[in-house]
This record gives sequence, C-alpha cells and structure tokens, in this order.
Amino acid sequence: MNSGREVSDGRLTVEGFSVAARAFADKWKIHNQSFPPWSWVPLINRTLHLSNQQEEGYLSLEEILILSSLEESPEDESLNVATDCLEKEESVDHTILVQNQENEAHYYDFHIVYSSSYKVPVLYFRGYCSGGQPLSLDVIKKDLPSCSVSLLHESKWTFITQEHPYLNRPWFKLHPCGTEDWIKLLSQSSISTGCQMPVDLYLVSWFSVVGQVVGLRIPLEMLN
Amino acid sequence: MSEKETSPTILQFAPLNSSVDEGFWHSFSSLKLDKLGIDDSPIPITGFYGPCSHPQVSNHLTLLSESLPLDEQSSVASTSHGNRNKCPVPGILYNTNTLESFDKLDKQSLLKAEANKIWDDIQSGKALEDPAVLSRFLVISFADLKKWSFRYWFAFPALVLDPPASLVELKPASEYFSSEEAESVSAACNEWRNSDLTTDVPFFLVSVSSDSKASIRHLKDWEACQGDHHKLLFGFYDPCHLPNNPGWPLRNYLALIRARWSLETVWFFCYRESRGFADLNLSLVGQASVTLASGESAETVPNSVGWELNKGKRVPRSISLANSMDPTRLAVSAVDLNLKLMRWRALPSLDLNVLSSVKCLLLGAGTLGCQVARTLMGWGIRNITFVDYGKVAMSNPVRQSLYTFEDCVGGEFKAVAAVKSLKQIFPAMESSGVVMAIPMPGHPISSQEEDSVLADCKRLSELIESHDAVFLLTDTRESRWLPSLLCANANKIAINAALGFDSYMVMRHGAGPTSLSDDMQNLDMNKTNKQRLGCYFCNDVVAPQDSMTDRTLDQQCTVTRPGLAPIAGALAVELLVGVLQHPLGINAKGDNSSSSNGGNNDDSPLGILPHQIRSSVSQFSQITLLGQASNSCTACSETVISEYRERGNSFLLEAINHPTYLEDLTGLTELKKAANSFNLDWEDDDTDDEDVAVHM
Repeated sequence: MNSGREVSDGRLTVEGFSVAARAFADKWKIHNQSFPPWSWVPLINRTLHLSNQQEEGYLSLEEILILSSLEESPEDESLNVATDCLEKEESVDHTILVQNQENEAHYYDFHIVYSSSYKVPVLYFRGYCSGGQPLSLDVIKKDLPSCSVSLLHESKWTFITQEHPYLNRPWFKLHPCGTEDWIKLLSQSSISTGCQMPVDLYLVSWFSVVGQVVGLRIPLEMLN
Repeated sequence: MSEKETSPTILQFAPLNSSVDEGFWHSFSSLKLDKLGIDDSPIPITGFYGPCSHPQVSNHLTLLSESLPLDEQSSVASTSHGNRNKCPVPGILYNTNTLESFDKLDKQSLLKAEANKIWDDIQSGKALEDPAVLSRFLVISFADLKKWSFRYWFAFPALVLDPPASLVELKPASEYFSSEEAESVSAACNEWRNSDLTTDVPFFLVSVSSDSKASIRHLKDWEACQGDHHKLLFGFYDPCHLPNNPGWPLRNYLALIRARWSLETVWFFCYRESRGFADLNLSLVGQASVTLASGESAETVPNSVGWELNKGKRVPRSISLANSMDPTRLAVSAVDLNLKLMRWRALPSLDLNVLSSVKCLLLGAGTLGCQVARTLMGWGIRNITFVDYGKVAMSNPVRQSLYTFEDCVGGEFKAVAAVKSLKQIFPAMESSGVVMAIPMPGHPISSQEEDSVLADCKRLSELIESHDAVFLLTDTRESRWLPSLLCANANKIAINAALGFDSYMVMRHGAGPTSLSDDMQNLDMNKTNKQRLGCYFCNDVVAPQDSMTDRTLDQQCTVTRPGLAPIAGALAVELLVGVLQHPLGINAKGDNSSSSNGGNNDDSPLGILPHQIRSSVSQFSQITLLGQASNSCTACSETVISEYRERGNSFLLEAINHPTYLEDLTGLTELKKAANSFNLDWEDDDTDDEDVAVHM
C-alpha cells in the first residue's frame, strides 16, 4: 500500500494518518467554527518505533461543554464530616457572592488516535464534570443525542473501556473493527477519483460517520 | 442598556472554583508511591486558569498532571493546549498521610501564610513583574492510596479590603467603549492573546488614547502609561461568566492597586472570551471605589479569606478513582471486556453470567488440574477449588503449569501452591485448596483409619454438593470411583479426563439415575436408564481395583507425552462450557462429529456437544464416542446409588475394603459367570488398566 496520496483498501499508514490529521484539523478550523479547533499532540520518546522520521501523534479536542440538568451530577463521596469545618475565625465576608446551584456542566475530551494493529484511526473519549470527577458510561449516554444510542445498537458498535495508548488511563473508545470495510464503501462512492480516496479526505470521511455517534457533526462543506 | 448609576453597593466577587483533572491524581499517586513515601512536606504545584470562554459557565482553576513538579520525562509531550487557556499560577499542596492529620491541619494559618506571600509580592513589586502570583492558591489533601480516594480542599487567598470596596458602576464593555474604541480594544486583546509572550499574563493595563486607539501594556509599565491616555483600565482574565459580578482575581488586584498606586477610583476591565476571541459583550467594565489605607494599616497584612465552598458548605471535596486506578479492578474489567468482545463479535448468544458464577471443583492439581484451571480462567470462571494431597515435586513445574521452582524448594502442597498461583495470575480469583486424599476402593484400610477415611468421604461429598461442576483429574482409575458416585448421587456435572502414554480420553458423565429434576423434558429420559449418558465406569466389567501396588515404577508414575495434558485439559474445559451453555445442561444428549447438524445449532452455539472424546497422538487422530449408562455400573447405576443412600458409610467401607462387593452388588459377578460359561476368547487390545473399555 502506498503511503502516498490515495487509500484504496480502507486502511491508513502511520504517515498517512499524520497527513490526514493535519488536513482534517485545517478543514475543521475553517468550516466548523462553532467548535474549538483540534490540536495535534506529538509523541516523544517513542522507543518502539522504527527509523522513519515521521512525527507521530494524535488529534485532541478537549473541554467540549455540554450542560445538563442538576440531577445528573454525581454524588460526592459520603463526607462524614461536621457541617462546618472551618473555625469561627473566618467570619462571614459580605464581599463574596453567594451562588445558587447552576446546571451541572459536563466536559468531554476527544482524541483521534492511530491504531497500528487495525491500521485505522480510533476515537477515544472521556467525560468529566466541572470538579474533575469522571463520568460513567450511563451518564455519558444521556448526554449523547438519542439517535446515536440507537445507531450504536444497530451497527453493533460499542463504547468500550480500554487503556488509552499514551495516557495510561481508562478511556472509552469506539471499537475500530469494521472501520476498514465502511471506509472502503465510502471511497467507492467518493466522486473524485473513482475507487480511491485521497489521504487528506480520509479523516474527514471517517469522522463524518464516527462523529455522529458522539454527537459531533461536521458541516458538509468539509467533505469537498 | 441599564447603567448602574445608583448609590454604590459593596462590590461582590464571584468565587473561583477548582477543577482537578483525573490525571493530576494519577500523577500524584505515582509521585507519592515512587518518590515521596511518607514525606509530607508541602509540594509546590502549578494551577492553570484562563478567561471565561462560555456565556453560561465559569472557568475554573485547574490542576492537571503537569501541575506537579516534573523531573522525569513523560512519554507524551505535555499536552500542547497552547498556553492561552492555561495561565500558570503558583500554588502549594499540603498532603497528609492520615485522615486525622488532614482534619487537624490549621487551615487558618495555612491560608494566612499564603496570603502573606501575596502581600509580600505586592510590597516588593514582584507582583508587577509576574502578576500571576496575585492568584496564588493553596490545596490541602489526603490521598488514600489503598482505596484510591482523594479528599481535598482548595483555598484562593484574597486580601480583604477594610472597609470593603464599593461598586460605582458595572456594565458590558461594549456599552462602555465607543464602537471605534471597542474594535481597537478587541484587536489589541486578541493580539495580546495570540502572542506566546503575553498570552499567559493574566493582569494587564488597557490604555485607550483620545483617538480611540487601544493598547495593552504590562502592569510594570504603569508609570510609563501616565498622561498619554484618555482611558486607562486595569484589565484581567476573568474566569467568571456572570453579568453582574467580577471574578475572584479582582480582589488581590485591587489590593495591589491600592497599595502600589494609592488610587481611590479604579476602572477595571473583566476580560472574557468566546470561541477564542475577545467578547466585549460578555466582558465587563466597572468602576470601583476604594478607601485608602493610612498609616500603620497600610503596612500590615490585611486579613484573608478564600476557602472554597462545596455546594455551599464549608467542607472539603472528595473523589473516588478506584475504577480507573485500582489495578485489580482494571484487571477485572479488562478480562470481562475480552469475554464481551468474544460474545459481541462471534457468539451473541453466549451466556457470560453462568460462566462467572459457576463453581468448579478440581480433583487433582497435577498436569491435568493445572491446565484445566488455566483454561477455566480464560473463560472468565472465577471460582475454583483444588483437592490434592501431594506436594510439588522437582519434576512438576515443567509440566504442571501453575507451579514454579520456588514451590518445590519450599515443599508446598499442590493444593495450596495452585491457589497462590491463580491469585498471582488474576487477583480477583476466588480459589481455595483442600489437602486431602480421595478414598479409593480396592485399597483396604485398617480399623484405626476408618474414621478419618469416612471423614474424608464426607468432606468430599460436601465439596461436591457445594460446587456446580466437578473435574476428575486424578492419576488413577480407582480414585475416580467415589467422586463419580457422589456426582451421580448429587446430579452434578462431572468432567473426566484421563491420560495414557500417548492417548487421552475426555468425557462428561451423564445425569444421575434419580435426578430430581422436575424439568418435563427429562421425564422420559429417567424412565429408562438407557437414555442417560454413561460415566467413566459404565463400560467396565471389573470394579475398580488397586492398580498401583506391585507395579513397576514406570507404571506407577503416570508417564505421558507432555503435549497430552494441555490438550486433554483444554478439551475438558471446552466440554464443560458446552454443557453450561446448553439449555439442557447435564441432560444434553451426546452428539457425534458425524451428527446431522455437524455444526452450530440453536441449542448449542458452540457446536456439537459430544459425550466422549478419545484421541491418540501417535496417529494425531481424534474421535467422538457415545455411550449409554449401564444398569450394572459400579458407580452410577441405580442399584449402587440407592444402596449408598440407604447404607451410607457402611456401604462405603465395604466398597473400599472388598473389591468384589461392588461386582456382586451390581450383578457383574453373575454376568461374568454367564459370559465365561460361553468360553469365548476375549481379545484384549491392551493391558493398560487405564484404557480398559470392553464393550458389551
């Protein structure tokens, strides 16, 4: 498979991924300004990889905010503490605004990471609330658009918890098997070069499907 | 367009809130475990914040994994968020080693100490050079690294102005500036934000000239700014989003302004953004009125406040990260995931719950026992009990996959060493070992031994009752008799595996003869015993005897080709899983490889479920066989079972001490007499007792 301009078998090389990632991030910045831009996180100290000089990394989109109603916020651990832990010395300060409980904000981080075993990109994500506490899958599913939950059931995709390959913590990911197949379908119907898909459109096409599952849509202009 | 021109009110600040990324706790735990140990000296850390970026949600002061002092290289470049939203702010972490010492920390003096540092930075001028120190903060914490839970409390020290500052007016910046000025201010802010040199400087001056040109300057340039401006505002990154209140950083900012420049009227600019650009509708401009301190009070440190509230209460926050940090939990979820993937990808009808709840009893912890245990673990089976009376011998570790050299040297009992080994492989295993010999027929016992042997029988019976599946993996024929009988009696799934030198046999016993199942499907099965599948002894014409005494050494030690035990052990487990997945379970009928379905059917998603599998590795051949239960079986026939039920221990003693008893009981004696009277030549294929299976 050439690491050049086109992809014909649904898969990407490491170099292809870097190229596709930059193209995707650029197009996103231009066409999708309702969202913050994706940033490229380079990887250093990768002792495993071969001699090729290509920079490896992943795409990161973080702190996407979804407001949800208060009931969703997770409980604090039961605090067996007295109701007031501060001594009386700190007197009431009238210059501090007393805030009402507002809606709970949920934040989401998305990483697009290259899988060298499947040779396709994989979407990793996690959710957390404003204090930093991680959100469980049940809570996350409530934040997703309802159509994506049914899409998951139908297409046998699953969110699974796995080690993030670089951060050594459990993140959720969309399982990558089958990606190769539907990318091939997409490239067969791509207008530009017959059955080939240009590398720089790979991630855009991939994300047009995958993004829907997590509620991130891309505008059609990006596909041109 | 409301202007707050009414009489000045006390200026109220919106408190700053904390946000601790999971990564911070991960990094801190490593730091504590690897480096700090019980050292609880304060740790300098860095917090990050940026201007508000959303009209409905305030920003927080965040701790990330890079907040901790680094001295090792991490394998990932520190996430390049760009510094614009991560202005670094100095802080300090006091982590205690016990919950009691956490509660006992003198919070007021810790807060005062940090407030003093801010005051000193104001007095010395450091705050002008590096204004981020105005937002210095403090965290106290207790990290419970056994339960992976963290209790913590932030304080954002704010110097209290006495009397408090009052608010003369506050309005959106777009209303304060003319449209020309606003455009220029936005442009200047965006430039400030886009330059790496200035983007993380959270306090600055906004100078607007009379021809509406705005410029942003560092605080230290204040003197230089005097005179050539039409408007001069004190700008700062405001994390707060509220339209009627400025954010917390303004507090120490006002203290600085009052102390350094003695201004009574302060025009301030709460800088907020949206979508990465200056947003002058969201940003605020306000005028504060400050009473100057005089004389002594100008020199003394003001009081301070700033402990963060938790849902309005003055209590610490806590978080549990056991699910993502406890290694045992991580192992469990990884193993579960593996099984779920199998079900999802290949076997949607696989019942994983039955596998995780089944209790397996392994009689024998040798070559077969070790392999069976490992394969059971692969299927997600968590509950395994070993019965074996032997110790790990020097020749064992190479063939018995749960043992190591240390076990031999230590003279460990196999049942004990096996349990230890399972836990080392997968900490969530529930496993126990019983060091016990299985009473065998044909090995007569003295009267002194009777009690202990009967106790062992009872123990074995209880073990079988309390498990769901029993594997017969011992190294003699006769040691399988009692377990076979007890399994038939209790109607428990029994899987039998036996090895010859270059052959093996794996089979599942049929249901017991008087199985009390009220499943309607089984009624016609129980009518005639012939419908039951046979057990290991069903095809014998001799009762199990002593096969061990008077044999030569090589016949006493079962010597087999090493490849056989792993194959037979693995097949035994696959057979069990097939039974467990089959809707009829122990009553499933036996299939042959040549069965009509020849493959997956609805009943058995895993494929056919044979009764017996026999193989010879010298031929690399494997066949499946089907055998029905025999009415004259010495282990599972109705005769024997009812005799056992009726006479209990005396039956057992007779069977153990008198080998012909069982033959008489079951009528085998009669049968043999009748057969002998015909004077036929019986051709024995082999003389190896292990493989005697004479078909009637």
